[in-house]
Amino acid sequence: MMRKLLMFTVLLVPLAGCYDQTEVEQQSYVIAIGLDKTDDEGTFRITFQAANPEVGSTLSSGGSQEEPRETVTLEGNDLIAAKDTANSVMTKQIALDHTKVVVVSEELARSGEFLRIIQAATRTTELRRSVQIIVSKENASDFLKNNQPLLETRPHKYYQYMLTRATQTGIIPESEIHRFFQITEGDADAFLAIYATTEQTEPKETGNEDQYIAGEIPVEGGNPTQFMGSAVFVEGKMIDILSGQETRVANILDDTMDMEALYSTFPDPKDKRYRIATNFSKDRPTDVKIEYHKNQPTKINVTIPFTIEVVGVPSLVDYSKNKENRKLLEAYIPKLAEEQANNLVKKTQEQYKTDIFYWSLYIRKYFTSIDEYEKADWNNKIYPNAEINVDYKLKQLYFGKMIDDSNLGEVRD
Amino acid sequence: MFKKESRLGAREGFAMITMMIGVKISNTTPSMFAQTGANAFWLMPLISMSVILPSVILLYYLLKRYKDKNLVELTEHILGKHVGKFVAFLLFVIFFTLLAIEGRSYTEQLKMLYFPESPTPFIFFIFFMIAFYGAKRGLETIGSTAWAFFFYIKASVILLAFLALREVIFARIFPIFGNGLVPLLTEGAKKASLFSDIFLLAMAYTAFDSTKKFRKGVFSGFAFVFLEMTFFFLLYCTIFDYNSIDKVAFPFHEITQYVNMGNFFTNIETFFMIFWLFAALIKYMIYLYLISWIFGAVFNIKEFEPLILPFAFFGIVAGMVPENAVINELVFKSNFMDMITPFLIFFPFLLWVTAKFKGDLKR
Repeated sequence: MMRKLLMFTVLLVPLAGCYDQTEVEQQSYVIAIGLDKTDDEGTFRITFQAANPEVGSTLSSGGSQEEPRETVTLEGNDLIAAKDTANSVMTKQIALDHTKVVVVSEELARSGEFLRIIQAATRTTELRRSVQIIVSKENASDFLKNNQPLLETRPHKYYQYMLTRATQTGIIPESEIHRFFQITEGDADAFLAIYATTEQTEPKETGNEDQYIAGEIPVEGGNPTQFMGSAVFVEGKMIDILSGQETRVANILDDTMDMEALYSTFPDPKDKRYRIATNFSKDRPTDVKIEYHKNQPTKINVTIPFTIEVVGVPSLVDYSKNKENRKLLEAYIPKLAEEQANNLVKKTQEQYKTDIFYWSLYIRKYFTSIDEYEKADWNNKIYPNAEINVDYKLKQLYFGKMIDDSNLGEVRD
Repeated sequence: MFKKESRLGAREGFAMITMMIGVKISNTTPSMFAQTGANAFWLMPLISMSVILPSVILLYYLLKRYKDKNLVELTEHILGKHVGKFVAFLLFVIFFTLLAIEGRSYTEQLKMLYFPESPTPFIFFIFFMIAFYGAKRGLETIGSTAWAFFFYIKASVILLAFLALREVIFARIFPIFGNGLVPLLTEGAKKASLFSDIFLLAMAYTAFDSTKKFRKGVFSGFAFVFLEMTFFFLLYCTIFDYNSIDKVAFPFHEITQYVNMGNFFTNIETFFMIFWLFAALIKYMIYLYLISWIFGAVFNIKEFEPLILPFAFFGIVAGMVPENAVINELVFKSNFMDMITPFLIFFPFLLWVTAKFKGDLKR
């Protein structure tokens, strides 16, 4: 009897593992969180968008008629506390482990209150550091409601693919919460967040492939959501919007951003009516050299090695075999790129008074202690007065797999 | 006496010291260092080591000279019965307190990150129960276990380092001295008890196969774990910026939650948690066993193994004293580490000077 009792007691111990038992089925996986401002300071409108894991899986194909996502908006003071309130509508325990994005309305981002609510959220272990910050032009709740992807209906896959691809092309920055905190707490540089909208504004007529910000792109069909450009955060407060092109330049100038090859067009130097289509790739790191002088302006030299593959010459000018034309193009592309970069650098120096390229990293080695470094004051003293020289170095010029274009005149003959 | 044909050789010693010190990479030690060291705290193990290394070498030299005596026997032999027992008892108190404080710290990490609903005492209880079960098997088994798991644990750590490398921005180590050279040096020296485990392992000296193997294993393990620690602290410093690093309580877990293997394998922290937990359990097995042994040696209890159970129990009770994890870490542990550092540094010198005075070292 005694032995049986002892055995029973011992067997009870492993049951302790059941304290935290939660079935996958009993959890609601929130993929996107939306944050909006209300009229009350300290109160926010919080939107949770949960994925329905049944949709799109082979197990339930045919059977399930349920929506792929559930979106709930409510008011609250804190993100985590609002989870429980949301349970008055949503059926299951809300888990934030799989959250992919935090959508912030532009209004909230510009008010500077954003830092307050997001900082509280990182205290929990639930929200990951790899969550991306998206600034939406409209209210975040509207953004999440209007976003109706047609192919990737499951929201977790949608955000994952959408953001990965758009980041690769450089039209939006990488804006992980981790990076946001490192830069904002570092208090030297500005942070770029993804800019997106579901509201089409007056389409911009004259734009080339990346000179838009979200909402201006004249697209027909597809999901109304557009991801393009970036929101500039200085000290946790949004101050400006950059176009897709400027974002690309910022991504190229910032060596801590991963960016793959991107397609871009340049005006044809021989025939201004057409634009040359190219594949721009930066396969070597951007080289940033800073010469720091205490009482003189600091010199910043940035070298960007890149390769260009010409993929289309609509003007049919022979750039591949004609040596003179090739030389012209080789000189022309870096010049144009430098012009774009210099414009952006100038804008950051004059308008933002701080850089968006995380260049403060390169000046740190001149200081031995944090005190000295902070006294030197990157964003008030050093950067706005620095002499910055951006140098694009064309390493190689390719012409695709065709040697020459067929002469349109001869074809029409 | 050395046990003939003991299963404990150089590799077991290597694995044991690596586990004991190595788990400090993954607990709150880095965040405690970061409070003063900021982005330069990766230099602190180097400072700590250079401060404590002479004492360690001296102690191990004495162990070698007196051949078949373990830490307590050595102390009693050199300092005489009464003073020796007193010093040995102090050693017991130090390591028992470390056991309780660090045990609490692990429990809090487990609770916060993986079992938020479970009550702390319960996790504590289960944790020590497993450690007790392992400790009860004896030191040879613990040593073999440490060696058997060594490669799996280190493989998981290397994988984590590899995955985390993508997030590293190397320029973050500048300004090179963080908050300044002086605070860095003083704090590094004060926290030299970071490597206190090497003193505890000296207790197991006679349980090893031979003195040569023991020294070879422990010193190579010490060198290995020092490099590993510096590398990981460097990783933390370059992933988090200087203003953020002191806000992160568990940098190791923060990184395991952050990294992913491609788009499909996200949220992989539980994988790392298993190996982390194993390493921590092995550490507590060693601690429980050796602490009971010190106690047994001080109070002339030959059969000290039955003491493991009460010490596991008292470890839980003492560990529950601090109110919460932050107080436990930043107040109790930090102060305690500062307090025991001078003792650990001067204790081998005291032994050496007395031995010299007595003329024991002349032969």
